[in-house]
Amino acid sequence: MIRIQKHGYGGILLPDFDVGLDIDQPDATHIFISHAHADHVPRNRRIPVFATPPTADLMKARGFSGKITLLPFHEPVVLNEKVTVTFYPAGHILGSAMTYLQTPEGNVLYTGDYRTPPSPCTEGFDCPTDVDYFITEATFSLPVYRWKSHDVLFNMIRTFAEDSRASGDVPIFLTYNLGKAQEVMMALEPTGIPVQIHGAGYPLCEIYTRYGMNLGNFSRYNRKTVAEGALITPLSTLDTSMVTSIRKKRIAYCSGWASLESRRSQIIVDKLIPLSDHIDFFELIDLCKKLNPKKVYITHTPNADVVIHYLQQAGLIAESLDIAGNDEA
Amino acid sequence: MSTSSHFYEFARVAQELAETRRTTDKVRLCAAYLQTLTEDTDLDRAVGFLGEGAFSTTSGRRAAIGHRTIAVCAATFLEIDYELVFRPSRIATGSASETIEKLMENLDVARTKRRVDVRLSLNDVEQRFETLAALRKREDKEAFLMEVWRDLSPMEIKYFLRVLGGGSLRIGFETRSILNAIAEAFNCDAETIRYTHMITGSLGKTAVMARNRTLEKARFTLFQPIAFMLASPVESRATEDISAYIAEEKFDGMRCQLHVSHENVMLFSRDLNDISASFPEITEIYTGKNLPPTVLDGEICVFRENTIQSFQQLQKRMGVKKPSQKLLKQHPVIFVAFDVVYAEPQVASAEDNAGRIHGDGTLFEMPLGLRRQILEALCTQYQIPLVDQETIQSQEDIDRLFERALSHGNEGLILKHKDSPYEFGQRKKSWLKVKKPGGSLDTVILYATAGSGKRGGTYSDFTLGIRVSDDERYEQDFVPIGKAYGGYTDDELKKLNAAIKPLVRERFGPTLSIEPHIVVEIEFDEIQLNKRTKAGYTLRFPRFRAIRWDKSPRETDSLAEVERLFNEKADKKRIPQAAFSIP
Repeated sequence: MIRIQKHGYGGILLPDFDVGLDIDQPDATHIFISHAHADHVPRNRRIPVFATPPTADLMKARGFSGKITLLPFHEPVVLNEKVTVTFYPAGHILGSAMTYLQTPEGNVLYTGDYRTPPSPCTEGFDCPTDVDYFITEATFSLPVYRWKSHDVLFNMIRTFAEDSRASGDVPIFLTYNLGKAQEVMMALEPTGIPVQIHGAGYPLCEIYTRYGMNLGNFSRYNRKTVAEGALITPLSTLDTSMVTSIRKKRIAYCSGWASLESRRSQIIVDKLIPLSDHIDFFELIDLCKKLNPKKVYITHTPNADVVIHYLQQAGLIAESLDIAGNDEA
Repeated sequence: MSTSSHFYEFARVAQELAETRRTTDKVRLCAAYLQTLTEDTDLDRAVGFLGEGAFSTTSGRRAAIGHRTIAVCAATFLEIDYELVFRPSRIATGSASETIEKLMENLDVARTKRRVDVRLSLNDVEQRFETLAALRKREDKEAFLMEVWRDLSPMEIKYFLRVLGGGSLRIGFETRSILNAIAEAFNCDAETIRYTHMITGSLGKTAVMARNRTLEKARFTLFQPIAFMLASPVESRATEDISAYIAEEKFDGMRCQLHVSHENVMLFSRDLNDISASFPEITEIYTGKNLPPTVLDGEICVFRENTIQSFQQLQKRMGVKKPSQKLLKQHPVIFVAFDVVYAEPQVASAEDNAGRIHGDGTLFEMPLGLRRQILEALCTQYQIPLVDQETIQSQEDIDRLFERALSHGNEGLILKHKDSPYEFGQRKKSWLKVKKPGGSLDTVILYATAGSGKRGGTYSDFTLGIRVSDDERYEQDFVPIGKAYGGYTDDELKKLNAAIKPLVRERFGPTLSIEPHIVVEIEFDEIQLNKRTKAGYTLRFPRFRAIRWDKSPRETDSLAEVERLFNEKADKKRIPQAAFSIP
């Protein structure tokens, strides 16, 4: 039986093969990083890791200084003549990868954060079919979460921006700086509205365009000219002068959590846009059924029991790896 | 044939109101909707559904169907496991009705059960509320509810349940805004609308009168309760002009509106329920007095041995619909009047020199001083217990009277502005309460429960434990003593939520059992005897005063301390018949 263990804050260790997935410290010889969000990048910023080229660029832009071995999608690497590791596009953010490990004990797929149907602002979603052990995140693992299509959501974003401009308001999108921000920019691109982005997000946008993503007409936040277009900035800036100094504005909060009504009173904004870069409950259950693995391991949710219940009904074996959820999803 | 407007339209507008941020935009949106309701009955229903629920406030009726019944029923309808699927979903959203809406939307099984060709009207929905209220057996209610759900879209179901619940629709659009929307829709003066609502006690009637231009016919109706005027807590006593106020002692009883006309008497509680049957000795006395049509505002207190008794004693009478002779003898009550809001037009206008009354007998607009004159005349003529009124000039007067009130066993003082009208349903600065907290205790958090509505998704209700580690009667270290929902800041709540995470022992649905570690200093109004609890006591209105990160659970107060405080208060000598008189 293969050993799959929770390790450290949010990582996973396969001790039999000396492999770590999204782990924090150099506790395995081979460490694979799924994507560049802070809760998946090692806290120890100097350890050697494997990552896709876009993930490597994004990690470096956010201060990671360890040695990164570049591993493009679909290009296998063999470790110790025993284990073959291949990255597959995860559809979560630019560069995000699922890690596929072919071992003598069976094939393991670790999803990292992922989404299908994939975010249009990524390399897409492609999943190997021969999986024995499926380690999946389940951030939105309740049947109250079923996402609307990207077409609908992108239209919502455009309509909000255009209506706001028409009424003389500056449309402000509160989003996470990496991933969601670029997705919103891509949605806005056809409107031609110039977009300003928070300083910490700006360099990441340049990486996105370098990898061929069309983010439209954007520039770094500038207080003097911000009123001329739209602004994209993290939720944490809502009460700062960056947002409060804009006199006429309409604010939208873009997140999977925006699908909950309670967010309306917790974050006072004009519009909640339930745009998520995570897989929803129904896609998750469907994928598990399709892969039909020997075992499913569930991470990143307080509600693993719900997923396990549904998988058991489908005749699958599942257990929780007890990794805490992510509130910024 | 008249056609009733679709309930779907109501739900759609409610949802749009929820998604609109600015109040002025909400009012405009709602006004436009009200204008589309051409039938008076529809206007009445829609406005009632928005602000009062399935049954009008004045009807005193309520949907006799519990939250749990609805939730279990939804799980059955959706063919999901209640414990394993519905409960965690409800905890995540913080709202049962929202959970049901989303599951109805997302699960295929709900879609197949839906009769898509059906559109219920406002009238249909009202009839279904009536049917539901008339059903007695739980199985019948559940079966009926599931039938109704087949005829509604998920969004309609959410609002159907919220209207049925009679609480807030949670769309950030409360009574005041609804009244503004009525004014805007039918081009009426907002102040007149507000007045009409106060008189009629009905949003629906107000809207219909506004459209039909019959607002001037708004009449106060005897035996139909009106919202009580409420007092605000004193924030800073120094900022008010004290000499503009008079002081009355605040009795440790329950507020009551007494409607009387000769042999007919009705008593109403603060939530406008008919409580006449619970207090037969009061209705009997007033039946015999042969009063002209009158409405008095006052307090019901247990009165024995010529002394007002504690609230704990009154509690034994509250909610008892048919008190036994024994109970009546053990805890006899009286009604002490402190205000008059309606008197026969002759009585009222005879005393009014300012010409401010409407001639319909209501005294709302009349200043307190004049109302008091009428009240005194009535109380003298009909021998009604009347609260004493004291003039005050200075802070020293207040302090002296406050101490006196406490020595009487009363709660504190109510300061009333001499020129204030009777502002029903409002809590303004015209009445101020000076109260002392019942006390404070250092307790420890035992359980945390996820809140709903605004606080959905965070743990906001905390069960607090009192220390019994040195108490031979108990095996455990702490037993629950009360549940606090507030008193903390948003920041403190965030910190608490983070701090309880590593202390979780077990999860019971929305409730977490917490390792006793976090010490909270709580403030409460009163300690009550409660034999059904482990501690034997519960606290009235416990709230956070401070989170004592600096203290360990060993340093908290013990149950013995609670017992000591309770006995000290109960044994406190009360001065006979203080602070009111029977003229």
